[in-house]
Amino acid sequence: MLRTRGLTREFGGLTAVDSVDFDLDPGELCSLIGPNGAGKTTFFDLLTGVLSPSAGTIELRRDGEWSDVTDASPHEAANLGLHRSYQITNVFPTSTVLENVRVAAQAAGNDSLRVWRNAGSFDSHIEEAHGILNRVGLKRKAGVTARNLSHGEKRQLEVAIALAGDPDVLLLDEPNAGVSSESVDEIIALIEDVATDHAVLLVEHNMEVVMNVSDRIVVLNQGAVIADDRPEGVRDDPAVQEAYLGGYEPGAGAAASDDAADPEGSVASESSGRSNTPEGEA
Amino acid sequence: MAISPGSGPETTTNDDRPETDSETDDGAETDGRTGAGDETEAEGGAGAEPSADTRAESEGGLESETAPAAETGTRSARADGTLVWPARYVREHLVHSGVLLFLALYPGIYTLLVNSPLRSELLAVLPEIETMVAVFYFGLFAMSFDFISGYTGYLDFGHAVFYGIGAYVVLLVATGKVPLLPAETPFVLVLVLAGLLAVVFAVLIGAVSFRLTGVYFAMITLGFGQVVYVFVRGWDYVGSNPRDGIAVSERSGFEIGVPFVDSLDLAIGQLTGDELSVLAIELSTTEVSYYMVGLVVVICYFAMQRIIHSPFGRVMIAIRENEQRAAAIGYNTFRYKLGAFAISGFFAAIAGGLFAGFRRTATPDNAFFFLVTGDALLAAIIGGFGTLAGPLYGRLFDEGVREFLSKAGEGGGLLPYLREHLSEAVLGTELLGGMTVQGAIETFLNGHASLYIGALFVLFVLFVPDGLLGTIRARLGGPVGKCLPDRAGEYVPERFERYWKGLER
Ligand SMILES: Nc1ncnc2c1ncn2[C@@H]1O[C@H](COP(=O)(O)OP(=O)(O)OP(=O)(O)O)[C@@H](O)[C@H]1O
Ligand SMILES: [Mg+2]
Repeated sequence: MLRTRGLTREFGGLTAVDSVDFDLDPGELCSLIGPNGAGKTTFFDLLTGVLSPSAGTIELRRDGEWSDVTDASPHEAANLGLHRSYQITNVFPTSTVLENVRVAAQAAGNDSLRVWRNAGSFDSHIEEAHGILNRVGLKRKAGVTARNLSHGEKRQLEVAIALAGDPDVLLLDEPNAGVSSESVDEIIALIEDVATDHAVLLVEHNMEVVMNVSDRIVVLNQGAVIADDRPEGVRDDPAVQEAYLGGYEPGAGAAASDDAADPEGSVASESSGRSNTPEGEA
Repeated sequence: MAISPGSGPETTTNDDRPETDSETDDGAETDGRTGAGDETEAEGGAGAEPSADTRAESEGGLESETAPAAETGTRSARADGTLVWPARYVREHLVHSGVLLFLALYPGIYTLLVNSPLRSELLAVLPEIETMVAVFYFGLFAMSFDFISGYTGYLDFGHAVFYGIGAYVVLLVATGKVPLLPAETPFVLVLVLAGLLAVVFAVLIGAVSFRLTGVYFAMITLGFGQVVYVFVRGWDYVGSNPRDGIAVSERSGFEIGVPFVDSLDLAIGQLTGDELSVLAIELSTTEVSYYMVGLVVVICYFAMQRIIHSPFGRVMIAIRENEQRAAAIGYNTFRYKLGAFAISGFFAAIAGGLFAGFRRTATPDNAFFFLVTGDALLAAIIGGFGTLAGPLYGRLFDEGVREFLSKAGEGGGLLPYLREHLSEAVLGTELLGGMTVQGAIETFLNGHASLYIGALFVLFVLFVPDGLLGTIRARLGGPVGKCLPDRAGEYVPERFERYWKGLER
């Protein structure tokens, strides 16, 4: 579906992504984990054309053929079926929730140059938008201006916009960031739901979620892949324990994530994410 | 996209589809909030607009608006849901039609009022017909500025380039300086050609400028504007003294209408325009110009509004809201910006052409100079940025205040009014420091219109940052053309509707 070979990105002397060889199979739900600053968001930026790699290639399989998309710009990557959600909410703030999703659905079609027709007359976009809002649980908020949503709702909208582009590969960058732990079950349900009809690459700090939903887990540390295995394998890997998981034990995840000192604390990671990720947008 | 079935639009707060089946073309506003056509339209022009056109205009949209809109949407849904479509149609176009009707009648109203006993008061306050013509063409320019700057968020400080191109193409053709185009080439054709030339310039300037954003974009377009201005100022092809611009003396009046059909083709201009008598009404040359220029401006307005409400317009708004995300969902934002820029350049050139056609002269300073753009910015801010129609009202406000504060002979206003009505004794009264009332009037009022406009502008930015139309929209919770009728509709339509239902049976 998607593969990278030797993908590298350097910022000055810092290698944020270090020769990553990565494969994503169709229909797979793969999680990408690693400590803050490991290069997960940078990896997403490379895949979606926001950043260009210092070295390496990105290929996408379409209609049974591998095609090189290393140099695709963001809109080209999107049109090739690669859509993402953002770690820091990045929506159309003064448009309604519905319009946020509708305009993304419109992008996936070929109607955007039809200047003589009303945007509201393309029922398919509107219906699709409503369907997606339904799916992410924002059905009742369709008419609300996006910036007036609660944080959790913004996270749902973030996913909804990515879904509306009709992705083949969906990249979710901490859809759960900053969401209170009571809502974790909902998020798990949503991720599992979208994984039924898309290949998903998920960045997530909450181990409870990761261990539950993933088919496979890739662990990144200082830009390099240090493990790539099924959830059980990753959990038992000493290198991963050392670099990231600390004392993670199955079942204790929710409690652990409330501990601010713990690297997997989702709230802690949200705040540090704000300070060091490139897409500073509110 | 696989969507679970049954998640259709009926889940929304606002679905008026039940009675819009026949209207798939423009109807179906499933939007939670606003539905309809943004505007409250503007301007003058021959009365009732062609309905197919207007009707397509007014609807729809999921336009981005402010928060209270959600409730409005719900309410309007309820109201709409019970209305048969003719009632809905009338309501949706109430504001459009009202404004158009008022503007169509304005010359008549003006004539009546200035012949009434309140003559001198009204003369001081009401804008003259000639001023209104200027409001129209410059208002169109300001709307085209808003089209690019208000809707994509890219401030084009070189917008006067397109206005100047429009004016100069018209004048150069009229003075026989353009090969292949004789001086008597139909004016409407020249307008379109000027628009197309502006499109070419917009693509060239935009291709470079849209590599930048924010302040840098504003700066580089300003730079392009200045380059063109300086070039035109020294371009001796236009005449021996290029700084004085071009004036047309030979050619007959510039006609607007159907070329070569005399009765449908009326010349504009104060001295060279046509007069017209329809039924018992005599229209002066200025009044004919008012209607013809107004007609072109209305058509251009509706064309721009059409685009704003189309999928293309939604992308422009998405770019303004969050360009990075617009690209991430698959829009080639560069192309869209360039397209929007070209469209806005086209209409700016039409505006410049109307200006030149009416005045029969233009100079680098009143067509190409960056302060011309500044005036459009002023109009857009006063009227409401990103409202399309707002800048026209902004310009009306601006010109109205200017005229009110101007000297006699320039429309008359406060100053001649005071001179005429204050007695010698009052005028001679001494105020502070030996200054008489007469002296104070001269000192504070004579020739200071721009100063007061400047002060008003500051007040606007401080206290009415959304502008006239923007503020009204925020209050109503959506575009005026939609919300006002909704509010009024809570009282009126029940009866109206009963009437219609009665007719249908
Ligand atoms: N535009 C940039 N310029 C310079 N350095 C950058 C840039 N973007 C990211 N970095 C650096 O690259 C490293 C990886 O950052 P990245 O945002 O990809 O981490 P992450 O794995 O997403 O972390 P988090 O879990 O906190 O979101 C960090 O050290 C960061 O400081
Ligand atoms: Mg990150």
